[in-house]
Amino acid sequence: MPIPDHVLVVDDDPDIRTLVGRLLEKNGFRVSKVADGKGLQQLLEKSQPDLIVLDLMLPDEDGLVLCRNLRSRSNVPVIILSARGEDMDRIIGLEMGADDYLGKPFHPRELLARVKSVLRRARSLPGDVQEQDANATYRFAGWMLDVPTRQLYSPKSKKIFLSGGEFALLRVFLNHPNRVLSRDQLLDFSHGREIEPFDRTIDMQVSRLRRRLGDDPKKPSLIKTVRSSGYVLAVRVDRGGESHGSDDSGPGD
Amino acid sequence: MGVEPDKIVVQIDEDLAEIAPGYLENRRNDLKHLPLALAEGDFYNLRILGHRMKGSGAGYGFDGISEIGRAIEEAAKQENRQGVEQGIADLAAYLDRLEVIYA
Repeated sequence: MPIPDHVLVVDDDPDIRTLVGRLLEKNGFRVSKVADGKGLQQLLEKSQPDLIVLDLMLPDEDGLVLCRNLRSRSNVPVIILSARGEDMDRIIGLEMGADDYLGKPFHPRELLARVKSVLRRARSLPGDVQEQDANATYRFAGWMLDVPTRQLYSPKSKKIFLSGGEFALLRVFLNHPNRVLSRDQLLDFSHGREIEPFDRTIDMQVSRLRRRLGDDPKKPSLIKTVRSSGYVLAVRVDRGGESHGSDDSGPGD
Repeated sequence: MGVEPDKIVVQIDEDLAEIAPGYLENRRNDLKHLPLALAEGDFYNLRILGHRMKGSGAGYGFDGISEIGRAIEEAAKQENRQGVEQGIADLAAYLDRLEVIYA
């Protein structure tokens, strides 16, 4: 099973926390709920959510200030959910770096659609991530990819040649470990960089990359096929000595 | 099967069947807290309670609660005692007449 996206709900109203938590959990998300800015800070010290649903009127801190502070140190997508429905609040919220703004009262399905949309958008814009990893070294399953030199080393420290497309594809997987990526996402994420869309298909690229990694195409252990969905790099990835994924828990073939 | 003419029938998503009763119970508790806050002239808390009702009611499918919450919040902002009293009475009547159908 793919790892569910983790959504953090920050709202002082327990009825809203219950409603949003229920809605998201029913739709396959992992949800954490806190009532104030202090709870938000505490959770962020021990966890890294995929998206934050943030109320503006919190008892201890202004949600707009929290939003600005979040944006200054993280790219985590933020959806503001607030009954402060003035146009100016909406504008300031977006200016403070929120990815979306939904006024209360809201239709639960609209919130769900926006959560999915914002996550989709965040993932279709990996440019920042890829720019940020320009000097990174990734280690996974004994392998090492050195991004600046584009050099892949096997567990026996042997240099492995990668084409431009294979390098781009592996870099996308290493940026999104243990996450199922559709063929469209893999194309989007790599598009304009190395992969020539009319020259090779993603399936062929994955097949070649598997061969480079010595991954058995009939029973791959690193890049697994997820039927009807795409591919997942099912392995722990460390980036620059810092954990960038979780232990091998990806889906099987 | 007929519905009593003075009932307010609200059909809400069956996904909410487990949490909607708790939400309504919280509003019944509001009917205890709102008059106390009004008696103390605590318009700040009245505003917060109205604001929360406004923000949450329609999300659960109870548009009427959002409307009543909006009225209470506005009245509390203006420290309009009669307006808050009317809102409390409207909430009591709404909860009394409410009939929920999950579908």
